[in-house]
Amino acid sequence: MTQRAALPMAIALLITTLGFAALIFVQEAKSPPLIYGAYYAGTMVVLYLGVRLWLPHSDVLLLPIVTLLTGVGLVTIYRLTYGVPGIENLATTQAGWILVGSGALVFVVLFFRNYHKLFAYKYLLALAAVGFVASTFTPLGYEVNGARLWLQIGPASFQPSEFARIALVIFFAGYLAEKRDLWAATSRSFMGVQLPALKYFGPVALVWAASLGLLVFEKDLGSSLLFFAVPVLMLYAATGRIAYVILGTLLFALGSFATYLAFSHVQLRVTSWLDPWSDPHDSGFQITQSIFNIADGGLTGTGLGEGFSQTIPEVQTDFIFSTIASELGLLGATALLLAFLVFVYRGIKIALLAEDDASKLLAFGLAAMFAMQTLIIVGGVTKAIPLTGITLPFVSYGGSSVVGNFILTGLLLVVSEKAGKRVVEEAPGYRNSEKVP
Amino acid sequence: MNAQLRRTFYLFVAGFVALVGMLAYWQVYAKESLATDPANSLQSRRVQEVPRGLILAGDGETELARSEQNDSGSYTRIYPEGPLYAGVTGYWSTRYGASGIEIGQNNNLSGAGEPETLDELINQVSGGPQAGNDVELTLDPELQRTAYDSLASSSTGRGSVVALNPKSGEILSLVSYPSYDPNNIDEKFPELAKDPNNPLLNRATQGLYPPGSVFKVITAAAALKAGMKPSDKFKDNGTYETPGYTVYNYKGRSYGDVTFEQALENSINTVFARIANENVGAKPLAQTAEDFGYYDPYKDFPLPITPSVLGPPPEQWDQGNIAQIAFGQQTVSSNVFEMALVAGAIANGGTMMEPRLVREVRSPDGAIIDKPTPRVRNKVVDADTAQTLNDMMQKVVTQVETEIVIPGVKVAGKTGTAEAPGDEIHSWFIAFAPADDPEIAVAVLVENGQEGYKQAAPIARRMIESYLKSQGKLPEERPSPPPKPAQSQNEQTTPSNQPAQPKNQAPFQFPFQNPFQNPSQNPNQNPGQNPAQAPGQNPAQAPGQNPAQVPGQRPPGG
Repeated sequence: MTQRAALPMAIALLITTLGFAALIFVQEAKSPPLIYGAYYAGTMVVLYLGVRLWLPHSDVLLLPIVTLLTGVGLVTIYRLTYGVPGIENLATTQAGWILVGSGALVFVVLFFRNYHKLFAYKYLLALAAVGFVASTFTPLGYEVNGARLWLQIGPASFQPSEFARIALVIFFAGYLAEKRDLWAATSRSFMGVQLPALKYFGPVALVWAASLGLLVFEKDLGSSLLFFAVPVLMLYAATGRIAYVILGTLLFALGSFATYLAFSHVQLRVTSWLDPWSDPHDSGFQITQSIFNIADGGLTGTGLGEGFSQTIPEVQTDFIFSTIASELGLLGATALLLAFLVFVYRGIKIALLAEDDASKLLAFGLAAMFAMQTLIIVGGVTKAIPLTGITLPFVSYGGSSVVGNFILTGLLLVVSEKAGKRVVEEAPGYRNSEKVP
Repeated sequence: MNAQLRRTFYLFVAGFVALVGMLAYWQVYAKESLATDPANSLQSRRVQEVPRGLILAGDGETELARSEQNDSGSYTRIYPEGPLYAGVTGYWSTRYGASGIEIGQNNNLSGAGEPETLDELINQVSGGPQAGNDVELTLDPELQRTAYDSLASSSTGRGSVVALNPKSGEILSLVSYPSYDPNNIDEKFPELAKDPNNPLLNRATQGLYPPGSVFKVITAAAALKAGMKPSDKFKDNGTYETPGYTVYNYKGRSYGDVTFEQALENSINTVFARIANENVGAKPLAQTAEDFGYYDPYKDFPLPITPSVLGPPPEQWDQGNIAQIAFGQQTVSSNVFEMALVAGAIANGGTMMEPRLVREVRSPDGAIIDKPTPRVRNKVVDADTAQTLNDMMQKVVTQVETEIVIPGVKVAGKTGTAEAPGDEIHSWFIAFAPADDPEIAVAVLVENGQEGYKQAAPIARRMIESYLKSQGKLPEERPSPPPKPAQSQNEQTTPSNQPAQPKNQAPFQFPFQNPFQNPSQNPNQNPGQNPAQAPGQNPAQAPGQNPAQVPGQRPPGG
């Protein structure tokens, strides 16, 4: 566990400052009140110091990465919206969400240090997750771009699925840790693959049904894929049985194919993925514009503020990575992807060092969700896989997404605190035992 | 459990590596091709901030496209000649991307390419606006106008003309009709894209049509290479049988004893089907077509070319396929550009020159940056074969297609009357002149324009006359045509009518005459047309005189 990350914090904040400086001095963008920048930098520094104080053994290197990603996100959102009437305050709004997210992280750090008590409520959490997602079908929910994933309560609107995801990971971590042995037991084999008893497939069938339900009723392809892939990966991690992955993938493929046949909006997504060039002005517009902008960046990018990615609809949310690839080039985009990978690496590392199964599965599930979300959306905007509307963690504009990912980071931190403490406690003993002649 | 965690992590790493690979593919490997994609408007947005270079016609004066600065400081693209050159210049839209020379020569026009002069280098390094280079084309403005007006007044108003200099490969005119006005493309594009007449399609370079009998020139070249002589004799009884397919002549005619030469003159399908099967064979025929440029996308040409094709590979042709390919039907499809190059190659002694549309590229301060020189594309047939084909094609004109005889000038040509499945037949003509020292080769297509001699041939003749006249190669005093009964009457009528004829109205009278034409009237039509070239008259007005032949059809204004 890395317990000091002051230098990475400074570098992350410096990069963010440079980005804003480039936009304000070179592009002559009208500066937002500088106090917002100070709020942001202050928030991140206080967060870092707070975590160092409250969780002295935790893997605090996660925070400079979060700072870098949110900072790059802020710069990019500001670059895309500063002169655009109607959305010119998006960057300051996002800074506000980062503040809220930081609050949520502190809340998790302070009140869930003993996160094991969460596992006691795992069924309640699962129920809450399902209910939360289903709540979009109440009159409080509403549709954006044909997908019904928003909830409006008073002045605040948010996407319940961003939080339901995390609840689901906690549920699966608790559930699988408890039933792990049952699941790993085999009762028969089929074509050389050892299969457990059929009744233990119940939870797989459940997630499968839930994710397809999302796909069908909410038209949210991205969340559907996440809700499915993460539990399957966790199941694999818990049991070591590749059969679950294969079977799950087959079931998902089957379900996807059925929905493809049944729903025209799914067909549209697939055709505009396979051949967007046949209709570049309508159904293929978003993805072709994304590709044109990415290609326009080349190796070193057009330079911040010099690209044309504002031509892409929804650029500041789902397609923010296209802007980064366009203006910072292959080098900048790869650097950002590396930052994501380091986050995933730290998450997996926490899982490896965690003591009990539930903690391992929790850290793994959160890291896997983070990784899958990044892979799915970056793969989507680069046309590697069909496009699904999800956000790029920490970078995309969007309150629910930012707050959700701060909570995710908070949970990783509390798991790492426990693991770090154990490592530190065991280490001196290990050294002492070595010294014994 | 840790083993699974590690393995899954490697899976994620593989995923991230794949994403970087995907990015590298778009940002490095596919960057250039995406930058010139017609749907990509990013380049045109970027260059709105700096003036693009001029596009000039071959006279070095006629501006085809220029950039004008508006009040907000950005530049808009102006096309002073409007639809006349749209097929060549293309359009430059911030919404709908770019086409034609605008995108094909974008590296020069945008000034975004490698710096060519010290000033440009300094400009580029200092980040200052870098004006684009001027591109001068090879197009002849007068000839372009003639082609455009002729197509506009053709019977269906859909077609294409390509004319080139066979010795240098310079494209003299390239017209696709109907055209569009590139000036207001941003507003008009959705409407144009839906237009059933498809004005955005460049019929010259990207429209594929069955070539019909003009393809017989290629079959004839293959036959000559196989050792045939123009005097070889054939007996035509009106049909040629292959297993599974019977070839008939056009309109079911039967010609009896004919020579190979006469078979080309009269465009006898049965003889060509026989020659292709019995004297040439599938592979040599395909090879000859390929030598003439079939299957070639002409990558160096600044406009995108949809390659002309013969259909499936020759190994798969049966006798029925060969028979039909011999006269340009069934699976053969050609663009007009390709057929002009075929005519040009025969005209140039069997050597095809690389087609060129750009004469010169100049920096804004006038320094010459690029000046391509004529380049041989390939030796299609040897000089003797080319001369034989040339003679045969001259006889096509002198013996049969006499409507395009130009007194005092030897013209070589070939008609095409291409059957389009489920559609009216297409009218084709390829020609070059003067046949003994060719200055111009031309290919004309009028979609659904009936037989080749009806619509395409008169346009080809107008093109040749217009060009030779501007080059001072059209004899001023011409021998009067051979005496025929109708002739003296026509000669008297014509000069008296001519001065009253407004120049620009002339072409529009042509369609009036057309419905009354039928093949049996054809021989009578010729003497009426010949006086059109009476001394001192503008060849472009020639069609205006056609009604003189049938006075009752003259429209009131004429």
